Amino acid sequence: MKTTKLYLGPQHPGITGNMMIELDVEGNKILKSKTHVGYLHRGFEKLMERRTYIQSFPIVCRICVPEPDVNENNYARAVEKLSGLEVPERAKWIRTMVLEMARLQSYLLWMGGQSGSMGLYTMPQWTIGDRDYLLDRFEELTGGRVYHLYVWPGGVRKDLPIGFKTRMLDLMDYLESRMKDYTKLMFENAIFKKRAIGTGVIPKDKALEWGVVGPVLRGTGIKHDVRIDEPYEIYDKLEFEVPTYEGGDIYSRALVRKFEFMQSISIIRQIMDKIPEGPIYNRIPNPFKWKIPKGYTYVKLESSRGEFGYFMASDGSEKLRRVNVRGPAYVHGISLLEKILPGSRLGDVSTILNSLGVCPPEMER
Amino acid sequence: MGFSKLTETKVLLKQYFKDIISIEEGGEQRLIIDLQSKDITSMINHLKDFMDFKHLSMISCVDWPEENKFEIVYILTSYSKNIVLMLKTKIDRKNPKLQSIMSLWPQAVTYEIELNEMFGVFFEGNDRMGEEFILEDWDDIPPMRRDFDSLEYANKNFKFRDERKDKKIIREFISEHYDEWRKK
Amino acid sequence: MDDLKRPTLDSDFTCDMAFNKITKWAQKNSLWLLAYGTGCGAIELSPTMTSRYDWSRLGIRGSATPRQADLLLITGYLSTKTLKRVIRSYEQMQDPKYVIGFGSCTINGGMYYDSYNTIKQLDLYIPVDVYINGCMPRPEAVLSGLAYLKDKIGDKKADGWIKYKQNFEWYRENQKKILKSFNGDNMPDKYNW
Repeated sequence: MKTTKLYLGPQHPGITGNMMIELDVEGNKILKSKTHVGYLHRGFEKLMERRTYIQSFPIVCRICVPEPDVNENNYARAVEKLSGLEVPERAKWIRTMVLEMARLQSYLLWMGGQSGSMGLYTMPQWTIGDRDYLLDRFEELTGGRVYHLYVWPGGVRKDLPIGFKTRMLDLMDYLESRMKDYTKLMFENAIFKKRAIGTGVIPKDKALEWGVVGPVLRGTGIKHDVRIDEPYEIYDKLEFEVPTYEGGDIYSRALVRKFEFMQSISIIRQIMDKIPEGPIYNRIPNPFKWKIPKGYTYVKLESSRGEFGYFMASDGSEKLRRVNVRGPAYVHGISLLEKILPGSRLGDVSTILNSLGVCPPEMER
Repeated sequence: MGFSKLTETKVLLKQYFKDIISIEEGGEQRLIIDLQSKDITSMINHLKDFMDFKHLSMISCVDWPEENKFEIVYILTSYSKNIVLMLKTKIDRKNPKLQSIMSLWPQAVTYEIELNEMFGVFFEGNDRMGEEFILEDWDDIPPMRRDFDSLEYANKNFKFRDERKDKKIIREFISEHYDEWRKK
Repeated sequence: MDDLKRPTLDSDFTCDMAFNKITKWAQKNSLWLLAYGTGCGAIELSPTMTSRYDWSRLGIRGSATPRQADLLLITGYLSTKTLKRVIRSYEQMQDPKYVIGFGSCTINGGMYYDSYNTIKQLDLYIPVDVYINGCMPRPEAVLSGLAYLKDKIGDKKADGWIKYKQNFEWYRENQKKILKSFNGDNMPDKYNW
């Protein structure tokens, strides 16, 4: 049969952002794939070298759009680690809550995208509508819907508003009740199961070597989670389970995410229950003259798509020497995708992309 | 828990590699190792095969123009030991060359192409060097180098919007009238 | 429907004008948007198109190919690599076509004023009918921008595409200043660069 070269993207409704995949197809079957990135490159790492540590904050959250809090938290912890700044206890609890809220909204977005890519168009209408209730809580807490600029070196910017706790717990009850509907419509749907089981399989013995992280790794049956391996903030004081499912296909990844969605709800309930009183931030020195001692650090956390790391080098001046962002999509979207796409069908490309959580802005920054 | 394994790894590495320039602890579960550039491949090989550092987190590069060096940093993670290693090596800035590690990890190719494009570091053994990865039609020096001035380039190549015709500074205008508008 | 007034006898009624009015009415109430998330603003489009804000109320929906689209939303900063694709997508669209610049970075570069890879002023390269400012604009702002564009189409003031045709040389010159490989070597014969 004749081999055709097909360019999927950058303008294509099935692609998860502004990127392009160059495919060699034979009929419906993919023979070879190559990812092209760079459509969203802004040179963040260069721009941050030109700014002081605090001036870098507004741009740091723009590195990954669906999940900006992860970047803020990572950057803040890297700066704290280098400068030796302490964080008050209450701020750590609030930060953990913000991270879990970010995980919830990211999973709601993923549910919409994943089922939308299979033609189940009711799901996005429901989940993205429900995600907006979470954004409302974000807005109440931070003042912004998408970009929050909330986590700050030395703590968080503002305390919880009055009555936030009850509204948050109400929302958690609502989301938990909605999960039943989502399960019926998506996870137990015959179309979803037929298309998801056995598609986009990552072999278990190769997963670690290929650099797979996060829910995708746990979907192959290997249990690694930064929250447990290297507890940051207050994850060592909370009770939660990390699920694993065997199979390595789209369906097992979906089940991992479904389980984690419920775990996040439970974590937020625990935080609301146990959060201590106290100050929420330690003052930093004058930000224009704040010099941070020379050093190197690598901080990481578990985002909704896997290990999100920041490497930072400072040279003892007011501006940082170098920061490098390691997003999970950097590996998932380029080298992993090039490995698992060959052999699958053309119609499955979009579903595989969604299940890996490919987010172009963090690949090229 | 993490501490004992950290010390153990440190001692083991010191025994195995006599040429290590320095090895220090950088906080909990972090080891920072300085190496000579010729040892880097054998060190990574050893770490991956015998010491269970199976996960490559990142390859990065720091530019030190005042010393005329590029510093390449490999960040490796061991899940079983729960340790993150930062392997650093300095190479000459004039002729930056290093051995590629693409045979060990397939994802290393991407990192190496990016460093090649953004800093001009050449990785021997990687057959995709010189490929356009992120930038398109770039004709200046590699943009992440310290001596490349981003604002100067932007001023030269892009046209900014003219300022307001009435020369009004809108921030001051808003702050003057803020209370007045609030009452309405 | 209110805008479609029956022409009275004493007005300078012509067949052409009535036809014009009907087409304008149809155009403004069925805007199809090209599904191209060019920047980070695309994240606020999904709430705008789904149940809470629901832009289908305004007759807007996404379309997969530029050939069927009327409206191009530039969602945020444009890197030079994307600018090339945006221009090609824009030129593939059928007349009449409209462009909305979405977010502060399309107006004057926004927070990427010193970036080496993003353009600072969108209307130098393609004509923009409506700008929505903010980083990022809320869904309410997006809806209000779209409603404003509809009014503009109804008043026949959304004439960016005519401007692009009339000042084609000027636009092309600006584009070529940034996109260095647009010298005609890698383009099809009929394509005019």
